[in-house]
Amino acid sequence: MKVASPSVAPAVRPSVSVLPFDRTIECVDGETILQAVLRQRLYVRYGCRHGGCGTCKAMLVDGDVAEGGSSFALASNEREQGWILLCSSSPVTDCTIDIGVMDLTEEEFVAGDQVGTFMTVVERIEALTPDIRGVTLRLSDPGSMKFIAGQFVNVEIPGSEDVRSFSIASTPRDPGRIDLVVKLLPGGAFSSFLEAGLQVGDGLRMYGPFGRLKVRLSYRRILIVAGGSGLAPFLSMLAELSDRGDTRPVTVVFGARRVQDLYGIDQIERLTRAMPALEYVATLVDPDPGWTGETGFVTDVIVRRFPSLEGFDAYLAGPPPMIEAVIPLLRERGVRAPNIYFDAFVPTGG
Amino acid sequence: MAKSLVEVHEKSKSYDWDFTVGDKTPKYPTRYIVPKTGKDPFRMLVRDYAKMEAEKDDRTYGFIDGSIRMRMADQIQPRFMEALKLTLPDLTNAEFQAVAGVGMIALSIQNQELRQGYHAQMMDEVRHTQLEMALRRYYVEHWRDPSGWDLAQKALYQHPGGLVSLALFQNFNTGDVIDSVINLNVVVETAYTNILLVATPQTAIANGDHALATTFLSIQSDESRHMANGYGTLFAVLQDHRNVDPLNEALERHFWHTHRGLDALVGWQSEYGAVVRPWTYKDQWQEWVADDFIGSYIDRFADHGVKPPTRLGKVAQDVPWIHHSTALALAAIWPLNFWRSDAMGPADMDWFEKNYPGWHDVYGGFWEGYAALADPEVGRLILQELPSLPPFCQVCQLPCIMPRPDKSEIRVFEYNGSKMAVCSEGCEWIFNRWPEAHAGRKSFWARYHGWDLADVIIDLGYIRPDGRTLMGQPTVDMKRPWTIDDIRRIGYEVKDPLAS
Repeated sequence: MKVASPSVAPAVRPSVSVLPFDRTIECVDGETILQAVLRQRLYVRYGCRHGGCGTCKAMLVDGDVAEGGSSFALASNEREQGWILLCSSSPVTDCTIDIGVMDLTEEEFVAGDQVGTFMTVVERIEALTPDIRGVTLRLSDPGSMKFIAGQFVNVEIPGSEDVRSFSIASTPRDPGRIDLVVKLLPGGAFSSFLEAGLQVGDGLRMYGPFGRLKVRLSYRRILIVAGGSGLAPFLSMLAELSDRGDTRPVTVVFGARRVQDLYGIDQIERLTRAMPALEYVATLVDPDPGWTGETGFVTDVIVRRFPSLEGFDAYLAGPPPMIEAVIPLLRERGVRAPNIYFDAFVPTGG
Repeated sequence: MAKSLVEVHEKSKSYDWDFTVGDKTPKYPTRYIVPKTGKDPFRMLVRDYAKMEAEKDDRTYGFIDGSIRMRMADQIQPRFMEALKLTLPDLTNAEFQAVAGVGMIALSIQNQELRQGYHAQMMDEVRHTQLEMALRRYYVEHWRDPSGWDLAQKALYQHPGGLVSLALFQNFNTGDVIDSVINLNVVVETAYTNILLVATPQTAIANGDHALATTFLSIQSDESRHMANGYGTLFAVLQDHRNVDPLNEALERHFWHTHRGLDALVGWQSEYGAVVRPWTYKDQWQEWVADDFIGSYIDRFADHGVKPPTRLGKVAQDVPWIHHSTALALAAIWPLNFWRSDAMGPADMDWFEKNYPGWHDVYGGFWEGYAALADPEVGRLILQELPSLPPFCQVCQLPCIMPRPDKSEIRVFEYNGSKMAVCSEGCEWIFNRWPEAHAGRKSFWARYHGWDLADVIIDLGYIRPDGRTLMGQPTVDMKRPWTIDDIRRIGYEVKDPLAS
């Protein structure tokens, strides 16, 4: 099997066998495997649809594909092992792919696309920090969306077909309300739109839910490492843990540059009262003289506080360099690789 | 023209049957409300089933034929083959108990769709026993020391290790039928068969036994249907919220008991029955039980009220240790074994210490002493070094030295005038909740209280055909094997630790 260059002429209507369900689909010329799956009323997990999130990662077992778009979310060693992104891969020969990693039942696979389109109304826009905004969307049509704490949504930039992905910060207990945490990026399309004209009462189209980040049932202690707007999914996941009455010890390490970059503190304090085993550790890279908390990067805090992390589940969200720096540290200290959870690229803004 | 599978399957369900003679009352009453609707996700029909299984059988038996011609049995590590004399009959016992269990389930569940799935499973379980018996015959005829293989099933049922197996797997066919499904299909087959039937073949291949790997993988290929039977049944009973509490209680019970029995025995085979160990048992458990079973399978039922067992954390704490303690106990009673119990050498000890930090402090001294007493000329048994024999747990039947001899959690109590012991808080809870299921088991030590060890061995029949040499030996080396006369000379008397 191999990944061919996009210039390779695809076979006419190559077929793709999908394991472990023993189902074969046909792709029309140039169509990505994801498009073919959804067109044939089947379902695989997907997210951004442009190679950025890694949700549609699958194993190419046999055959050749051409990569037509970005495959940012695949590491080079994953590519060598045969992983592909279904949203940016078109078959050039008959292929076999294995989607076992998506953890879908056959019922879910044959049920068709489970991602919905929702009309929403902006209910709140709040400056959480100098460059992070909290946005609340109230769902109007349909009026609710079933999701799992940790998942994300795509929001359409009005007047275009572009979407931006944001983790959901609110709890699944209120399925009619979606809280987003948006980091303003200079020149970012959604950032510009948000700053320039978005008002309470405006309508926005939203797609979702996406992603596989969620609280796993386990006996293990939990370490959450977040940076920037990456705290968003964990606000939702912590609320879920609290609602479940989960008593596992949880430590949240939240990294920011300055004290004014911290947010969600009231919410964390409320959660700490409800969850006695929850510990919140904020660390600042550029602290004011009066700051008495932790300093340095999240990696520094992990080194200082956790000589061993054996028996931990770790959840990460934040800028990709932070995730890349934290993973080897966690492994070195005893977290099993399968127990480190993150969406390959947790969308944080733009 | 051939009809579609779905159409034929739907029609087959209309051939439901009922009987007009005999008592329709199930052997055990159920506390669950079992709905009539349910789903057999595999839509298995006899015609497809027979074709598929016949092909798998052909492959497995064909491989064994080839193994004989290529004399592959000569390549197997003796240590692996000897430990297997206990664990393979243990597995066959599980199959026997499952045949009875699935029969009871199919009769008791008034739901034709689920019943159809269980009928196919019953045929599977029979097929598995046949495959295992064929494998055993291969060992009897081609392994260099057939002693023990020749009476393995009989030997199993009177050995303490066999009592662990009986206590665990009789739950497949004893008691509430849905509890049996939770034990058999949900806990044992979904949580543990990957460890048993996928990881063990890896170890087998690493230790030269390809026939076992082929046989076990053929068996495992049926397990996904059995898991689906459990999945379908759970979804069916969860349609009624009144079933949630009993279901969680059954999960709690069988998760704990299965952990005790299987983590002890399979972990022992995986590490003490191997010279080459592809990966640690504790990692196998983390991957398949903690991550896959709890983190994925049970998670899917969480919205329906199913909760992970409350003792999950305690199980995770004990998993790294209980197979080491089991190994110690099985080695200590080596004259009562029907296999040769190999000594752990320096390379083994290094591996254990590296993978289980702290191992040497707890077990290292025992294995050094064990090796020093292996020669019959020394004239002393490691049993004589113990202050007393450990009682066996009234529930799981493991020796009460768990999770570790230095941290035993034994509890001794009286029940209906008899003194009994359990190994842990988990087994104590099970005993108190279902005393009638466990109180009747007679302890191995009680059976032989006051006997000379030599007479116990003769009674068990664990003597080789020469009438003198023991089946059990303290190493796989047979340069100067122990005989019944060596044991007689020592004059060791078995004393039931619970005898007043």
